[in-house]
This record gives sequence, structure tokens and C-alpha cells, in this order.
Amino acid sequence: MFLLQSRASCRLRESPEEGKVFTEGMLMNEERGVVPLLLVLHWKHGAGSPLPITPVNATCATRHPCHSNLMNQIRNQLAQLNGSANALFILYYTAQGEPFPNNLDKLCGPNVTDFPPFHANGTEKTRLVELYRIIAYLGASLGNITRDQKVLNPNALSLHSKLNATADIMRGLLSNVLCRLCNKYHVAHVDVAYGPDTSGKDVFQKKKLGCQLLGKYKQVIAVVAQAF
Amino acid sequence: MALFSAFQTTFLLALLSLKTYQSEVLSEPLSLAPESLEVSIDSARQCLHLQWSVHNLAYHQELKMVFQIEISRIKTSNVIWVENYSTIVKRNQVLRWSWESKLPLECAKHSVRMRGAVDDAQVPELRFWSNWTSWEEVDVQSSLGHDPLFVFPKDKLVEEGSNVTICYVSRSHQNNISCYLEGVRMHGEQLDPNVCVFHLKNVPFVRETGTNIYCKADQGDVIKGIVLFVSKVFEEPKDFSCETRDLKTLNCTWVPGSDAGLLTQLSQSYTLFESFSGKKTLCKHKSWCNWEVSPDSQEMYNFTLTAENYLRKRSVHLLFSLTHRVHPMAPFNVFVKNVSATNATMTWKVHSIGNYSTLLCQIELYGEGKVIQKQNVSVKVNGKHLMKKLEPSTEYAAQVRCANANHFWKWSEWTRCNFTTAEAAPSEAPDVWRNVKSVQGHCVVTLFWKPLSKLQANGKILFYNVVLENLDRPSTLKLLSIPAPANGTELTLDQCSYQIHVTANNSVGTSPASVIAVSGDPGNKEVEEERVKGTEDGFCLSWKPQPGDVTGYVVEWCERPGDPLCDVQWRNLGPNTTSTVVSSDAFRPGVRYNFRIYGISTERIPYLLEKKTGYSQELVPSDNPQVLMSNLTSYSFTLSWKDYAAESQPGFVQGYSLYLKSKAARCLPGSEKAVLSDDSICCKYKIDNPKQKTFVVENLQPASFYEFFLTPYTSVGEGPQGAFTKVTTPDEYSHILIRITLPMIFSILLIMILCYLKSQWMKEKCYPDIPDPYKSSVLSLIKSKENPRLTIMNVKDCIPDAIEVINKQEGTRKSLTETEPTKPTYLYLLPTEKSHSGPGPCICFENFTYNQAASDSVSCGHVPVTPKAQPSQLGLLTSSENGPKALGKNYVNSLGEIPAGETNLNYVSQLASPMCGDKSSLPTNPPEPALCSEYKTQMAIPMGLTSPPSITLLDEGEHDH
Repeated sequence: MFLLQSRASCRLRESPEEGKVFTEGMLMNEERGVVPLLLVLHWKHGAGSPLPITPVNATCATRHPCHSNLMNQIRNQLAQLNGSANALFILYYTAQGEPFPNNLDKLCGPNVTDFPPFHANGTEKTRLVELYRIIAYLGASLGNITRDQKVLNPNALSLHSKLNATADIMRGLLSNVLCRLCNKYHVAHVDVAYGPDTSGKDVFQKKKLGCQLLGKYKQVIAVVAQAF
Repeated sequence: MALFSAFQTTFLLALLSLKTYQSEVLSEPLSLAPESLEVSIDSARQCLHLQWSVHNLAYHQELKMVFQIEISRIKTSNVIWVENYSTIVKRNQVLRWSWESKLPLECAKHSVRMRGAVDDAQVPELRFWSNWTSWEEVDVQSSLGHDPLFVFPKDKLVEEGSNVTICYVSRSHQNNISCYLEGVRMHGEQLDPNVCVFHLKNVPFVRETGTNIYCKADQGDVIKGIVLFVSKVFEEPKDFSCETRDLKTLNCTWVPGSDAGLLTQLSQSYTLFESFSGKKTLCKHKSWCNWEVSPDSQEMYNFTLTAENYLRKRSVHLLFSLTHRVHPMAPFNVFVKNVSATNATMTWKVHSIGNYSTLLCQIELYGEGKVIQKQNVSVKVNGKHLMKKLEPSTEYAAQVRCANANHFWKWSEWTRCNFTTAEAAPSEAPDVWRNVKSVQGHCVVTLFWKPLSKLQANGKILFYNVVLENLDRPSTLKLLSIPAPANGTELTLDQCSYQIHVTANNSVGTSPASVIAVSGDPGNKEVEEERVKGTEDGFCLSWKPQPGDVTGYVVEWCERPGDPLCDVQWRNLGPNTTSTVVSSDAFRPGVRYNFRIYGISTERIPYLLEKKTGYSQELVPSDNPQVLMSNLTSYSFTLSWKDYAAESQPGFVQGYSLYLKSKAARCLPGSEKAVLSDDSICCKYKIDNPKQKTFVVENLQPASFYEFFLTPYTSVGEGPQGAFTKVTTPDEYSHILIRITLPMIFSILLIMILCYLKSQWMKEKCYPDIPDPYKSSVLSLIKSKENPRLTIMNVKDCIPDAIEVINKQEGTRKSLTETEPTKPTYLYLLPTEKSHSGPGPCICFENFTYNQAASDSVSCGHVPVTPKAQPSQLGLLTSSENGPKALGKNYVNSLGEIPAGETNLNYVSQLASPMCGDKSSLPTNPPEPALCSEYKTQMAIPMGLTSPPSITLLDEGEHDH
């Protein structure tokens, strides 16, 4: 489990799995630990605002060639996430008990302040960079939520399963976006930011933050999937 | 700054020295006040931690002191807690004390102060309170932040049944805030305008994931909450016990108390403490712990097991002597030696538990899974035990365990050893039976024997010896050896009597012989079969005791009656036994079993005594008979089912039930109403005699529809419901139709055919055209009775005096009913007066068979009638052979030839003249003979009765018409 606070920068070139193309099937087995490692390697204390993307002339090499149908894979993964987001949200707030199911607007509203922005009308490169930030943010947050829920709701197995499946898809999506950025746009460096760590929060607050994050995820992933 | 600090320290030291000096000089008591009081908070545990020190003590001085601590809430005057804390105090030692608040510390401001006093007997003069320290304030609210609402305590963990205080802190007192527990609103008390407190009493355990408690404001989207974790009460460990197996290590075990039922923060820990040695160990496992026995031969042990979790600590104690808790190791090197057919010796070794200790060992001998011998033996190191009274060729298991003989604590585990005793000769003769059949002058004997039981066989049976001894020639012996596991053999013998000896043999020896004799006469005399009723326990068979010398009885039966092999079973019974119960797991319901009871003579010859048959459980008949219907009449029919095999049914057929359906509402005598399974109602005839295979259904209605169904019944019930057979009784008169009407029709038809074929003959005989007066029977009667001289009048003797004129109007077509009967009109050819003087009355015949047209023509006018008829004419008239055509033809011819005035007979011709009007037209227009001829019956007309009005018949108008 990786717990990241504040912001971090990500240097793609340093990743041992750099440039590897992920498909849904591969993600479940091969690359389960790649993205956390990638993120941990690039974690940087005290990073400020997101750093600009790599200059165009920067070199960006990948160890493996990207899949020829990479954008389709990205679209499929986004569609897959979009299709399961609402079910995950429902499973989550149901498992938390009252008052969550009956106060979704107050406890699970998508008011996550530091969530990375997304502009659907931007260029593909911009959208891919923003998608990368979003998925990195969501992946870390899902890790925190999964950790908390295993303690707080150890018997909510379907919720755990759904959280793990979503995290797996996100890891694959992140790798594919990275590959696309690197190969086509030669982007080797994208700053990413993460949500607040919940490890020090009280239990009710953990539940609430997780619910807000999943509400935001459900909202954002629909827009992103539509944009691609 | 450093300079200022140094100056301040110097000043204080000087001041303290001065004060000490003053006290010594003035002999005032020394005041030992707590100083440097610091208060910190632990929000998670809701605790205030105080620490302070006492500076005024001399070096190396230790005093027992008591400190009085006061805690106030919200304001200093509101003291909520006062406690005296006693402890030994050293100079400049930091003292600590903690206090747990029931109200979350975030809910209100707390203040703490304290004072001290010497509480030491050595310094009684210092027993007075020092001055209070200043109030130390603890205000957590000020550091909470700017959120509009807070709820406390966060993630509180309590035991089930505890009391919990919850509060919320609102930044705006204008908001109306409501708080809920499990969806139920809580009601609290307002501590200050922004703080409300809720007291939860005796909180229950709900779930291990905790209970959400939340508060929300009326305005805004603010919901804040906490999770309260309520655990079950932590129970103390149970069944705490320690023992040693080798006097080197103690193994202590216990059953942990019930789990707290909460999340991981409530993990339990177990600690083992021994008070005599003062040693302590933290157990790695939840239910057991090992303790090294001290090498200094410590005998007594006093253990304290402490179980602890976040909320509670539980302890159990155990005091014992080490030698009383010895659980020996299992014996080893266990062997069974010197195994014979009936004896064996068991040896083993034990682990020593001390130089002078003795072990008590227990030996158990198992045979066929059951303990058959049990023995206790005292053992130092090596054990030995002789096992007797064993069965030959039998598998045994011997096991041994040991315990401390001086202080029994626990048996060791068992150590087991299996062995098999040696074989011995079979102890019993095989149980033999026979079946004798006579085939082509030979006696075919089938021998059966039962395998010896394990106890009887004393080993593996290898073969059976069969010795045939011819009783007629005792010197003749024949030996057959049948290898095991055969349980019978077939022998073909002559009709001589034989005695058969059967023995079983194993590798050691031969069993006693079983003897059975076969006589030349099979002795299967006819014995009437009796019925026997089976029960759940089997068949209870009894027989009459035999008066003669009987050495025993044998009951024989087949367990599979339908099988050709039959699986013959038998049971030997003593001579005084006259009943037995035969039961078998092979008996099946609905199967008929036949039992034969034999008596065994002193010569060992079996002879049949009785036969029994029965069912272990009777069932309803499995099928229904094929019923044939016959003798169907209007009122009855007959049913027969002679081919039905009642013996093959799964029960004794006690009779038959005949169901008859009809439209009649009432049942006929001999039957009763019955309701079928389909709720239809019919009449039921009960045939009580199972041997009756026919039945006549009587008193039926003709031309009625009936349905019948016949089923047998046993003591259990009737056979399966089958289809009804339909029958309709014939009409009542149908037999008459068949027996009478048809022959009649046939006869009539025959007569008609005959009549048709002989129509001419019949006509001549029965109704000739011109009857022959000579053939009239009337005449014969007259002749015989009245006047024998009377003869038939000759035509020549008759003088015609009148002519009958038959008048009929032409052109009018009337029906027969409308037409008036034609009256003959007569023309008087002779004077009436003269008519009386004639030789006799004139007879006139009128024949109505004449053609109507002809008769009409006749009435048209006078016809010259010849006085004499031509012979030829008469001949023609009487002729019946030429038919009407020939008659007409002759008639025409004769008319033309008859001369007028030659006739002297008053006669009305049967062939009336067809002349119409003018007689001259006759030759030119002759009438058709068939149409114009008319036959009139002859009749005599009295002359006197003729009347003139006959003239009117000549009226022109009518004539023309």
C-alpha cells in the first residue's frame, strides 16, 4: 500500500516498467505492483504545484513498444471504469451504514477540493496529461480507501472486490496513458498530486472522505470517458 | 536572556537558603509544596496527565507525602473531582498522576490544582497542607479549528454495558442541531450555548464495525459524526492448567475468553508469572505457553496467567507441585511375542520420570473392535504382560498407556500393537442340510453346509470332506474332498440309503463330522399347506410334536423364492422345540415364502412334517384379472376370469370387488354404493370366495349402459384402479325379433317366391277368372245334405228373360268413394207373367270383374242377344288357359257370329257387348277385349221384382254421356 501526501512529481524514465503496454488481462497478474512502485519512486517531499510537462524536445524512451491500438484500449478501460463507478459508489455508502445512504448530498458530495482538473475540449495531449493526473490521484485514494475498509468493514467482501478490481483497471489505464504520452507526445514527466492521507483521521472522517472521493470519481469518470 | 535566567536562579537559591535558615531559626515547620505542575491531555483516552515535583526535600531524603488534587470544569469554582494521592517522594523526583474524564475533554475547559502534605510517621511535625498551586487550565476547544460542528469523543472504545458521554461543539449557537444514534434521535443537556452533552447508559454491543453517531445542523450541509466501538466484556481464561511430560518443561494451556468481537485494536495479550521464582514470560500463543522448569529442583509453582486487552485485564492463578502434574510420554518399543493359538506376551518400555518413580501401565486387548481384556501393571522401565484365553486364528490389537503411579495426573497416549493368534483345528461340525430329488431312477442329493464361524473354524477352512456310507452295504465308503469356500455339492446316488458325513478342514486339523442320512424313499408325502402370517419380527412357525423318536427338527425355506437357485436356508432345532421365529433381512414385502418343517429320525433321516406359506408383509394385488364377459342378456351378463393367477399376487387374495356403474341411482340387491378415487359413485359387489372365478351380474335394465371393473383384494386392500369395461344390455324384444320375426319373414318370403313361381297355378286353383261351378264345394254340400238329386243347372235349361244393362257415365272420373254403386239395369226380354210359367226361375250372374269401360258401353243400348249360346262360345269362356287376350279375341269373333233369335236362354253374358249406340259400328269399331269385358256375378233375378223404371236407363242424355 502506498500512502502519499501532498504532491509529487513523476519521472517516467526512471520506471523499470517504463513504457510497457497494459491490457486488462495482463493487469490482473503481471503489473499489480508496478504503479505503486512507479509512484513511490517518483514521490518527492514538499513538492509544490504540479510541475510543467516535459519539453517537447526531451527524450522519452519506453522499454517495450506501445500497443498499436492504444487509444482504443484507453477508451475501453475508461468505459469499464465508467460502467462500474456507480456500483462501487453504492456498495461503499451502503457498507458504511447510517447516515451515509440517506445523506449522500451532505456526506458523499463530490466536493473534493484538490481534485485534478479535466478539460474535455483540450487537445489530446492535454487531455491525456490531465487524465494521467486524475488516474494517479484516484489510484492513490482508492488504495487508502481499500486499506481503511479492510479494517472498518472486514466483512464487506463485495466492496473489497470491487475496490481491488477498480484499482487494477486504473493501474493498467495509467500505464497505457503513460505509454501514449511518451511515444506520441514525448512526454516523459508529468507532475501528479494526491489526496489527503486518511491514516490519521478518525473513523467517521475516513468513511466520509472515501465516500466523497468515490462520488467525485463517479462524476469525473463519466466526463472523461465521454471526452475520449 | 541567559543572563536573566542566571540572575533569576541565583535569586531563587538565595531566597530558598534564606527561607531555610529562617525556618531553622524560627523552628517553623517546613512546607513541602508541589511545584512545576504541568497538565497534558490524551484525547484518545480522555485523560489528563499531571506531572510535578517537590523541590524542598533534602538530598537523599525520602518522605511519604500525600497530594490533594482538585479538578474543576468550565469554571474553577465548579470542582468536579478531588483526590488524595499518596506516594514516596524524593528530591526533585517527577511525580505523575492521571485522571480519566467521563466527559470528552474537548467538550469543556478543565482546570487543575494541587497541594501536598507530608504523611510520614517519622516527621509528624510536617503533617500539614501546603498552599495550593495555581489553577492549570486545559482548554482543547480553542485548538479545534474553524469547522462549524464537532462531535466527541472520536472512535471511543468501551465495553458492553458501559456508560458513555458524547458531546457536540457548535461554532454557531443559532443552529438547531440534532444528533442520532442508529437512526434514533438522542436528547442531551446543554452544557453551554455551544456545547450539548448526551449520556448513553448501558450501551449494547451492536456490531464489530462500530456504531455511527452523527449530528446535523438545520441549516447548511453540515453532518459530523463519530464511530462508537462497543466491545463485548473480555472474559477471563478458562481451564488454566500446567503439566510436564519430561520434568524439564511445563506446558500451560487455557481456553481464551470470548473474543471482544471488535476490530484489531482489541488484540489480547497473555502473560505468565510465577511468584516463587519471580519470573515472567509473555506468551506467544493465545491458548498455551511453555515454561522452563528451573534446574534447582523447584517443586512448587504458583502461576498467574494475565489476559489483557485495551479495556480490561483478567487474571487466573494456579498453584501445584511439579511431581503431581506429570503426564508421561507414551510407551515405546511395544511388541507381542510368543504368539500361540491362545496365548501371547506383550512387552514395552517407558520413559523414566525420576529415579524412584513407578509408572502404572494399563493394557487393553481389543478383538473385533471391542475391549475383551483389561489389565493394570506397575512398571519401572520395562513392562511385560501375558495375554491368555485368546481365540485361535484371530486378529487382536493390544495397547498400553502409563501414568505416574504415586500421583496420578493423566494417562499417556496409547501405544498400539496388532497381532494374530495361530490356527487350531475347527471346533464344530459344519451345519449340513440336503435336498433330494429323484431323476431317472437315481437319487440326486444336493448337500448344503454353512461356513463355520470364525470362532468355530479356528483358522482358514481349506476344504470339506464328504464321506458317503452306503447303509445297505456298510463296507462301501466313498470320500469326496470339496475345496473351500464351496458351501455345497451335488451327488448322484442310486436308490440305496446313504449316510453322509461332512467335515471341515483347515491347516491344523479336521472338525467333528456332521451326519445326515438319505433314504431310498424321499418321504415327501403330500402335506397340506397352511398359511402363516408374517410380522415385522419374522414368521412365527409352530408344528405338532411328533410322537416317535425325533432327534430334532429342521425348518427349511428359500430366501429368494422366485430365483431358480432359491438360496436354501435351514434351521436346526431341538427335539423338544415345536415353534420358532424365522426372520431374515432378505425377506421382502409382497413375496410369498414357503416353509417346510422336517423331523429328523434317529437314523438322521429327515421327513417332511408340515408346509407353511405366508408373506412377511402382504401388499395389495399388483394386477387385476382379465375379465371376459359372456351371456349378455337384457337383464344380466356373466363375467369370468379363470386365467387369473391369484397365487402370484403379493398377498393372499381374499376375494374380488366388482364395481358397476350405471345411470340408476340405486344399487341392486347384493351390491352397495362405493365412492371411487375419482369421486365417482358406483355399486360394489363383493365376492368373498377367492376361488370363485365367475360372476353373474343380474337385475339389469334392458337397453341400458353399464360399466364394470373387477379387482381382487387382499387383507391390505384392493388392486390397482383400472379401466372400466363398457357394456350395453340389449333391448327386451330383440330376442323375439331374432327368434320369431326373422323366421317368419323368411317363410313369407319363401311363400311369396313360391307364389310368384306358381302364380298361374294358384290363380287357377284359388281365384280363376271363371269359376267352375262343378268344382264348387257348396254344391257338394247341398247334394249331400238337402237334395241329393240336385244337379247343376245347365245353361241350356235356362231361358233368359232379362238382360242386365250396366250403365255408367263416361267422362266422369270420380273416386271410388264418390261413385255411387252401379246398379245393374235389366231389360226384360220376356213378359213378366210368363216368366212364372217357365220351367224354372232364371238365374242371372253378375260379374264385377268386368272392365268398367266395357260395362259402360254395354249400357248404351239394346244388344241383340241370341237365344242360344254357341258351344264354341262357352268353351272359350270357360277356358282358363289362354288368358285375357285370347279371351277378348275370341269374344269379338263370337259376337259377330252369334245370330239373333237363336238363343232361348235368359242369360246375361259375362262378356257384355262393347256396342255403343249404333250396333252397326260394332264390326268397324270393336272394343279392346281387355277394356270392354266385364265380369258380373251371376245371380237370379226374380221376374216379379223387375220394375219399369229400368226404362229410364235409356234416357238419351245419360246414354250420350
